[in-house]
Amino acid sequence: MASTETRTEVQGPGPQSPATFDGVLGSADHKTIGRLFIGAGTIGAIAGLLLAAGAAFEAVDLGGFTVAKDADEFTQIWSAGRDLLMFGGIVPILVGLALYIVPLQVGAPSIAFPRGAAGSFWTWLLGSGLLIGSYLLNGGPGGGRADFVVLWAAALAMMVGALVWAMVCIATTVLGVRTIGMTLERVPHGTWSFFVFSLVGLFSLPILMAELLLAYLRVRYLHLDVTLSEELTAIMDGVSYAPAIYWVAIPVLGIAADIVGVHTGRPVKFHKAAMATIGAFGIFSFGADVVGLASLRPVDFNNGFLVAGLLIASVPVLATLFLLGDSIRFGELKMRAPLFGALVSGLLLLAGTATSILGLVEPIMGIIDRNFYDGIDMTQTLVLNGTTFHEGIRAVVIGAAVVAAMAGVQHWGANLFGRRLAEPMGMLAMLLTAVGSVAWAAGEVLAGVADQPQLPSAELAGSGVEGFNSIAALGTAVMTAGVVVFGLNLASTALATKPAGSTPNQWTGSTLEWATTMPPPVGNFPAAPVVTSATPRNDGEITFSALLPSAAEALEKEETSSSEELAALPAGSGGSGES
Amino acid sequence: MTDITPYQVLPDDAPAAVYARPRLLMAGTALASAAVAMGFLALIVHYVSERAAVIQTGEVWLPNGVTIPLTQPNFMGLTLAFSVISVWWSVASIRDNERANSYAAFALTFLFGFAYISQTAYLLTIMEMEILASERAMLIYAVIGTHIVLTLVAMGYLIVMLLRTMGGEFSPSYFEGVRSSAMFWTVIVVLYSVLWYAIYITK
Repeated sequence: MASTETRTEVQGPGPQSPATFDGVLGSADHKTIGRLFIGAGTIGAIAGLLLAAGAAFEAVDLGGFTVAKDADEFTQIWSAGRDLLMFGGIVPILVGLALYIVPLQVGAPSIAFPRGAAGSFWTWLLGSGLLIGSYLLNGGPGGGRADFVVLWAAALAMMVGALVWAMVCIATTVLGVRTIGMTLERVPHGTWSFFVFSLVGLFSLPILMAELLLAYLRVRYLHLDVTLSEELTAIMDGVSYAPAIYWVAIPVLGIAADIVGVHTGRPVKFHKAAMATIGAFGIFSFGADVVGLASLRPVDFNNGFLVAGLLIASVPVLATLFLLGDSIRFGELKMRAPLFGALVSGLLLLAGTATSILGLVEPIMGIIDRNFYDGIDMTQTLVLNGTTFHEGIRAVVIGAAVVAAMAGVQHWGANLFGRRLAEPMGMLAMLLTAVGSVAWAAGEVLAGVADQPQLPSAELAGSGVEGFNSIAALGTAVMTAGVVVFGLNLASTALATKPAGSTPNQWTGSTLEWATTMPPPVGNFPAAPVVTSATPRNDGEITFSALLPSAAEALEKEETSSSEELAALPAGSGGSGES
Repeated sequence: MTDITPYQVLPDDAPAAVYARPRLLMAGTALASAAVAMGFLALIVHYVSERAAVIQTGEVWLPNGVTIPLTQPNFMGLTLAFSVISVWWSVASIRDNERANSYAAFALTFLFGFAYISQTAYLLTIMEMEILASERAMLIYAVIGTHIVLTLVAMGYLIVMLLRTMGGEFSPSYFEGVRSSAMFWTVIVVLYSVLWYAIYITK
């Protein structure tokens, strides 16, 4: 391998990413695309949360309408908030973070299919615009104009399709563009979690697209009565309810593991074990997702996969946090904003997965009822499915994902913009988001226990659930404030982005994204970094190879086989290297 | 005449070669194929569950007056099966540096693809099924139509790879693009076998 080493230190600033408007428009640099996704996703998340807050405040007084004109408009606001928060906000932010960080962490010069990744952003942006337009023109679930209900289905499918394509680029980068020595088991936890997130997404989101296609055809050709368009909200239920919603929280565990490793100075000791727990969490969300969606009906909570997912998903979360505990306990803990966010997001996810187990009471009682008892309807013990209970689980899981994304941006700020995001604002944003999501979730869960249906109805006016709805409304407002603070922090940092290579390393991270200049130049590294472990920067100075990995590997194999052949030769045969 | 040796053509400070692991396009195509398959299978699952629900009520699944003959679907399957042979022939030809054979194999695959689409159009004509007639008709059109669209996408992919082959981009030492397009085509043909059984055989 020594023959492949050409340089032993990172050179100074290289060519920069395009800064002009036309340069950004035509850029296929993964860093530019990642920043665009993060910025636009933050705007989408704020818009989604504002709409969710509007719907939540409407539910405070079930006796009349204040924010919306009527029940249909309420459904539209509620549905638009859910669509935008999910596919216009948190998923694009995570995809953007993955597009930016994954190539750096695996030592790649670029994302796989860079023009495809750029195309995914612009397609997603166009789809987002059309989605907002469809709602503004009285379309979407609850809409009254068939043309714009159809437009909603097409726009949402366009957004989801674009995100799937970005996930193909991310997963292919992990599979195929890793640098020399970076085996799959050596990739950092952040990259691994984005890989699992992408795989689960690209296997399950096409099912949502199939549903949207059928909705499109039904409204377009079968002239579905638009007064029934609120039934279309069921399409998004498949990806919004636990355990399928856990999919958006898969990166929470990887981001937290990376951050804890850096800010305690002690990388996660059991690297592969943490990879296994993150993978297990992905599997539990995936199986349920596919089966739940493939039924293409209102989610069936008696489904065995869903039951298993709800029951077991908290175990890998707990196991991952347990593995991080070693670094926290024995490392040098520095409570900076990223670490605060990482820990809070992990705890939020644990709270969400643990609370969702309550949703099992009804199906388990059903099983007991069917098999052991006659005549006693045990399923009525605690009916939570079909109520706002699952909206509460969604709120806290989304909250965990948003806080983790904030922590990630804060952690990799120097990589992203050449400067760190303001620490106090970062802390404040994460605190508000976490507190807001907990309050939102608590209100919805309690209202669900009090039998409030998914879409609150006037029949429950004066029943006491309005108090719970007030807590939820307050929570959405606080969470919105948190994301707005994050957006301001992000914007002020992004607008003062420094040129490539102008900032020294910020943290003593052990992975490859810290082994280049900040922000990284086009190409990321002067040549292919050569790694020999999961923590290359802890193994001494990084070496760089100018050879193709395949050539280097072939050379390495050749050297190994030659030395083995030589060793096998009898002494004195004349084949010794010394001769 | 200047004396330039091969070692002087590249300046010393030239940037390092872009490194990539082999089979990058194959990995990307495999993932995209998996996503496409999941979406298509979701449509099939929906079709099958809808059909089962209708039959359970004692009704007949196909709309009144609609019959699905088996001759065309069988020949469509046969056509696509031949296309799999021709598309992998194009891969083998590139590998063996037989460019003329490769172009012929590409052309044959396009021919089979067009033949499949043409036979589907004829089948839908003789089925005399109005898309506006019912949910059932809409579902049948959705599944068949999606497969036609996927076939056209696969043909587009093949065209891109044919043009790149004609441009000299692929050779016996590197023909990943041709192989990945052949893989995507094969996935589309496998999906047809699911469609064939779910719609044309079970009716």
